[in-house]
Amino acid sequence: MKQFISLLITSLNVNFGISALRYRFTKEKKHLWEPILIGLSIILGGGSIIALYTVFLQGVYKGGQMLNSPELVLLIAILACQFMVFIFGIFYVISAFYFSNDIDLLVPLPLKPYHILASKFIIIMVNEYLVAWPVLLPAIIIYGTGMRPGLMYWLKSLLVLLLTPVIPLVLVSIFVLILMRVVSIRKNRDVLVVLGSLLGLLLGLTINYFAQKLPEGNSQQFIQDMIVARADVIKLIGQRVPPSTWATYGLAMQTLEGWMYFILYLLISLTLFGLLMWLGNLFFYKGLLAGQEVNRGRKKLSAQSINAQLEKASSPVIALFLKEWKLFLRTPVYAMNGLAGMIMVPFLILMPFIARAEEMKALLTQIRQPQFAMQVTLGSAGLVLFASSINIVACTSISREGKTFWISKMIPVPARQQVTAKLLHSMAISGIGVVVTTAVIGIALKLSIIRMFTIFILCLLGNVLLNALNLLIDLLHPRLEWDNPQEAVKQNLNGLFSILFTLAVLALSAILTALLVQLRASEWIIHAALGLTMGFLAIPTLAILYTLAESQYRRLEA
Amino acid sequence: MLRISNLSKSYNRGAVKAVDGLSLHVKPGEIFGFLGPNGAGKTTTIKMIVGLLNPDEGSIIVNGYDNQKNPIEAKKSIGYVPDNPVVYDNLTGMEYLNFMADIYQVPVTLRKERINYFLEMFDLTDAAGDLIKSYSHGMKQKIALAGALLHNPALWIMDEPMVGLDPKSSHLLKELMRQHCQKGNTVFFSTHILEVAERLCDRIGIIHRGKLIAVGTLDELRRGEQSETLENIFLELTEQ
Repeated sequence: MKQFISLLITSLNVNFGISALRYRFTKEKKHLWEPILIGLSIILGGGSIIALYTVFLQGVYKGGQMLNSPELVLLIAILACQFMVFIFGIFYVISAFYFSNDIDLLVPLPLKPYHILASKFIIIMVNEYLVAWPVLLPAIIIYGTGMRPGLMYWLKSLLVLLLTPVIPLVLVSIFVLILMRVVSIRKNRDVLVVLGSLLGLLLGLTINYFAQKLPEGNSQQFIQDMIVARADVIKLIGQRVPPSTWATYGLAMQTLEGWMYFILYLLISLTLFGLLMWLGNLFFYKGLLAGQEVNRGRKKLSAQSINAQLEKASSPVIALFLKEWKLFLRTPVYAMNGLAGMIMVPFLILMPFIARAEEMKALLTQIRQPQFAMQVTLGSAGLVLFASSINIVACTSISREGKTFWISKMIPVPARQQVTAKLLHSMAISGIGVVVTTAVIGIALKLSIIRMFTIFILCLLGNVLLNALNLLIDLLHPRLEWDNPQEAVKQNLNGLFSILFTLAVLALSAILTALLVQLRASEWIIHAALGLTMGFLAIPTLAILYTLAESQYRRLEA
Repeated sequence: MLRISNLSKSYNRGAVKAVDGLSLHVKPGEIFGFLGPNGAGKTTTIKMIVGLLNPDEGSIIVNGYDNQKNPIEAKKSIGYVPDNPVVYDNLTGMEYLNFMADIYQVPVTLRKERINYFLEMFDLTDAAGDLIKSYSHGMKQKIALAGALLHNPALWIMDEPMVGLDPKSSHLLKELMRQHCQKGNTVFFSTHILEVAERLCDRIGIIHRGKLIAVGTLDELRRGEQSETLENIFLELTEQ
C-alpha cells in the first residue's frame, strides 16, 4: 500500500506539473504570466459555455416540473456527464495506459500491474473531473435550490460528484484492456490521433447541426417544450444506462427507496473498480508488452530507386520548405490541427443550407441582390481570412522543432533563409484554406469570378501579415521543450496570440471599412484600401521578422 | 583548424561555471580526444564550437573563421554528431540524407556516391526507405554520422560517438575517423572510453571542472613514465 501511495503521489505530481509549477513560482518568475494567462482564458472561455449550459438546464428543470419529474435535470446531467466521460475516456485511457512516457520506467519496478493501473486510473479520473464537474454541478445546484431536498441531498451529491466518472471509465478501461490484447494500437499511434481528431470534428459538426435547428427567440421555452414532449425518451435512455437512474433517484429521493438506489450505485461503482483491478492484474502487462515491438515497413530500396531519389538537388530554402511539409503532413497531430479549421469552416458555412434549407433559400435570394454585393464580398473576405488564418502552422513553426532544433542551429543556413522556408510553408497552408473557403462561399453565394478573385487577393495579403506576425511571436517565444508533439501545438500559448492577431486584423479591417463607407468611398476603393493596408502593415512586420531572425536564432540555445 | 581562446560559459546567472577560460589549438590532420569526468564541461565546449550555445567570453576559430562573427562559414567546415542525435522522426533515412546534402549543397554526383557509400558501410541500405522513428538508437546514430560526413567537413566533431554503436559499427567509425584525417581533415571527439582515446588519438585534452587541466600526446601526458596508462593519468589528474 505504501508503494502504491508513493506511486500515486508522484504520478499526480508529474501529471499536474506541481513541482514544475512550484519551480516556476519560485525560480522562473519571468514566465509566471504564462500559466496565469492560460488559466484566465480557460475560466473565461469555459465560463461562457457553462452559462449557456445552465440556461439550457433551467429549461430542462422547468419542463421536468411540468411533468412532475423535476429530477429529469439530474438525469440529463448525469447521462451527459457519463457519456462525455466515456468518449473522452477512450483516448485518455489508451494514452495513459499504453503511451505515457513513464510506462517504460514503471514496468521494470517491483510494482504489481494493478498498482500502475490504479494510479493511472485515478489520474484519469482527476482529469475527468474537469469535464464532469462543470456538467454536473449546475444541475445539482438547480435541483437543490429549486426543490430544497435537505442536507442529505448535498452530502450525497458530493459522493456523486466524486464517483460519477467511475462506471464509464471502468467500462472504457475494460474495453481497452481487451482491445489491447487483440490489436496492437501501440504500433499505430498515429492512427489513434487521426481517429480522435475526426471524432472531435464530427462531434463539433453534430453540435453545430443541432444548434442550427434551434429556433430563434426564446430557446429556454423551446427546450422546456422539447423536454415535455420527449421526457419518455429521456427516461427510456436512462433505463438503458441504469447507473444514471440509480444516481438520479438516489440523489432526488430522500426515502428508504432513494437510499437503496444510492447504496446500489456506490456498491456497483466499487465492485466494477475491483473487477478492473483484477482484470488488470491478468491482462495489463500482456497487452502492453505485445505492443512493444517496433513496426518497421522494411521497404527495401534498390540501388536504382536510391539514385533516382538523389537525382535532383535543391536550394537550402527549398530543402527546408519540403522538410517542413513532410513533417507537417506526417505528424497527424500537426496535420489535423493545422487543417481542421479549414475543413470545419466550409462545412459550418454549408451547414445552415443543409439544416434549414427553406429559410436559407429566401435569405440567399435577398443576399444575391446587387445592392448587397459589397457587403457580401467583404463579409466573405472576413470569413475566408478567419478560416485560413486560424491554423497553428506559423505560430508553432519553431516550437514544433523541439529537440531537433539543434539541426537548425548547426546547419550553415542563415536564419533569414530558415524563416523564409517556414513563411512559405505557412503561406502554402493558408493559401489552400483561402482557395477552398473562397470556392465554397463563391459557389454558395453565386459570386462572380472577379469578386472571388478580390476575396482571394485580400485574404492572401491578410495572411502574409498574419503569418509574419505569428512567426514573429514564435520566434520571440518558442516552446521547444516538449516530449509529445501535442504539447508543441495544443499547449502552446502562441496559438492564443495567433487568434488574437486574427481578430485584431479583422477588427481593424471592419473599422477601416466603416470609415470609408461613411466617407462615401466606392466599393473598389474600399477593397483597394483594405488590400494596401494589409500590404503596408505586412512590410514592417516582415522587416522586423527578418531583422530579429538572426539574433533570435543565435539567442536560442539548443 | 580549431583554435579556442579563453572560452568561458556559465549557467544559472554565473552560479555554475561550466567552462572556465579554456584555450586549445587542434591542428589539421589530427584526431583529438576530449576527455573528462561527467559534468566536466565536454558537451558544453562542443556545443559552443558548433554554435548551439553562446559563449560568455572567448573566441572559437574554425578553419580560419570566427564562429561568432562568421558563423555560416564556420558551420560549413563542421560536421557534427551529438551524443544523443534526435533527428527528424517522420523523415525516411534517405530523405534525411538528401536533405543534409541539399543544405550543405553537395553536388548530385558526389551525393550519390557518398550516400550509397555510407548506407552500404553502416548497413542501412535496407532501412533507408523507412521512417527514422522506426530505427533503433544505433541506427539513428549511424544516420546522423552519415549526414554529418556528406559534405566532407574539414572539422568532424562528435560527442560520445561510440555510445550505442555495436562493435562492428564502432570499428567502422574508428576506421572512418582515421581515413578522414588522412585526407587532411581534423577529428575532434569526446569520449569516456579511455582505451579508444589511447589507441586512436594523436593528442588528448583532459577537462575537469570547466578547465583544461592537461593536453598533449599520450607520451607527453605520461611525462616520461612509460608504464603509466591513460586511465591512471586520467584518475590522477581528475582526483586532485
